[in-house]
Amino acid sequence: MALPLTPVSVTVDDGHLAQVETVAQALRDSGMEVERVLGSVGVITGRAPADARRSLLAVEGVTSVDGQLQVSLPPPDAPVQ
Amino acid sequence: MIDPPTRRGPGPRPPVRTTGRQVVVFADRDDLQVDWSAAGITDVADSRDFAAGRVPAQTLREAGATVFARLGIAVVAAGPDQVGALRAAARPVLSVSPELVHRVLPEDTAGYVRGYRDGVADLAGRVLGGAGEDGTAAPPLFQDTATATWGVQAVRATTSPYTGSGIRVAVLDTGLDLEHPDFAGRTITAESFVPGETAQDGHGHGTHCVGTSCGPRTPPGGPRYGIASEAEVYVGKVLGDEGSGDDGGILAGIDWAVANGCAVISMSLGADVAEAHPPYSAAGRRALQQGSLIVAAAGNNADRRSGEFGFVGAPANSVEVLAVGALDPALTVAWFSARSLPSPGGEVDVAAPGVDVLSTWPMPERYNTISGTSMATPHVAGVAALWAEATGRRGYELWATLTQAAQRLGEPSVDVGSGLALAPQEGAGGA
Repeated sequence: MALPLTPVSVTVDDGHLAQVETVAQALRDSGMEVERVLGSVGVITGRAPADARRSLLAVEGVTSVDGQLQVSLPPPDAPVQ
Repeated sequence: MIDPPTRRGPGPRPPVRTTGRQVVVFADRDDLQVDWSAAGITDVADSRDFAAGRVPAQTLREAGATVFARLGIAVVAAGPDQVGALRAAARPVLSVSPELVHRVLPEDTAGYVRGYRDGVADLAGRVLGGAGEDGTAAPPLFQDTATATWGVQAVRATTSPYTGSGIRVAVLDTGLDLEHPDFAGRTITAESFVPGETAQDGHGHGTHCVGTSCGPRTPPGGPRYGIASEAEVYVGKVLGDEGSGDDGGILAGIDWAVANGCAVISMSLGADVAEAHPPYSAAGRRALQQGSLIVAAAGNNADRRSGEFGFVGAPANSVEVLAVGALDPALTVAWFSARSLPSPGGEVDVAAPGVDVLSTWPMPERYNTISGTSMATPHVAGVAALWAEATGRRGYELWATLTQAAQRLGEPSVDVGSGLALAPQEGAGGA
């Protein structure tokens, strides 16, 4: 049975900023469900199986693969936000 | 008998010694045309004529004038009576000043001992309770008035001639109440990066932050609470109505803001993780390279009332993201404001008003007063927009300008960085 997908952010290195689409395609071929290709900042976000980190990191032009952080604000009536 | 030590406390300072030469600063470094003979100066040495630009000490002493072309500065053997002629020798001359004699600063043992005594007294005051030496809390320096909140007064937005005109400011948060009367007529571009939600704010946090950073100069009713009143507002909804979001939407919002040329990106959000998150470091660096400065909340994970100092979370703890701590109206650190991490990038860079901050809230409430480093952050974003307008600076230069112009505070630098962010005043645009 396939592992569940978890949200990931893949950082593209400086040398491949002009080829983010090519990197994104290679990530898809390595099992990542690409949601957003962010050309200005050179980051590709999406979801991938938990055990795919190593294969994504091996994609040419990838400098970092990180699980996505979650951000949560306090409720609107909290005195400190 | 031991003689009492000579008192070396405050008193008249010894006169400043000068050399009799004048230091001339030229406005135009690149095309330096000086008519030295008109000022009666002969024997001019130019640093460009010496190997590696190194002018020998003897030349400096003996030449009529020594020109340091790379600096646009000349040291001239001329008395005070020749200052007028020097000013006319090249247009425009920025300044003519007497050359000063500098000395190694004298060792001041008594000063060291006084500092040690003050430190012990301060420690005793803190340990034995209360903020001040006498055990009482310092009185507030600022308060809300009928015309302006304490925060916009403290950052000196009220006396700044700048408005953020021509500057795009992105606020990545829970969106904005797009029907809020205080923003009627403003140029607002809104985009949602939260699946299934529009940019309309269903929380309040985003509307509060947009109000502080970009609210109007003269709100229809009530005091002024906003800073960059004529900035072009880019509202990126990256946190849902219930207040949460993840990298995917936040990074998409940053990418959108950078692509749209926003000089300032305000992010009153964070996760309580002590390690810098690589995607935010890369995004912050690339944003700076493209002229966008990301300003982020240091975090509210301290509880100084019980001795917990917390730490700067992500994304503020990335080297490439400017981290903002919160101050109260006495300009002391807010009890919840996170302290710097020892790792690079984990520093609090500047501080701003973040306690009892009044700003906009979705209708029908219209206004709300809340606290947090989230409220300090848009104060800095608004101030940054004013500096961007005043100086034309972007990216790292804008960052340096903000920290350089900050008002230093007596609070620890691990809590407030360079101090209180201040708005540019008349003439801050430079020559």
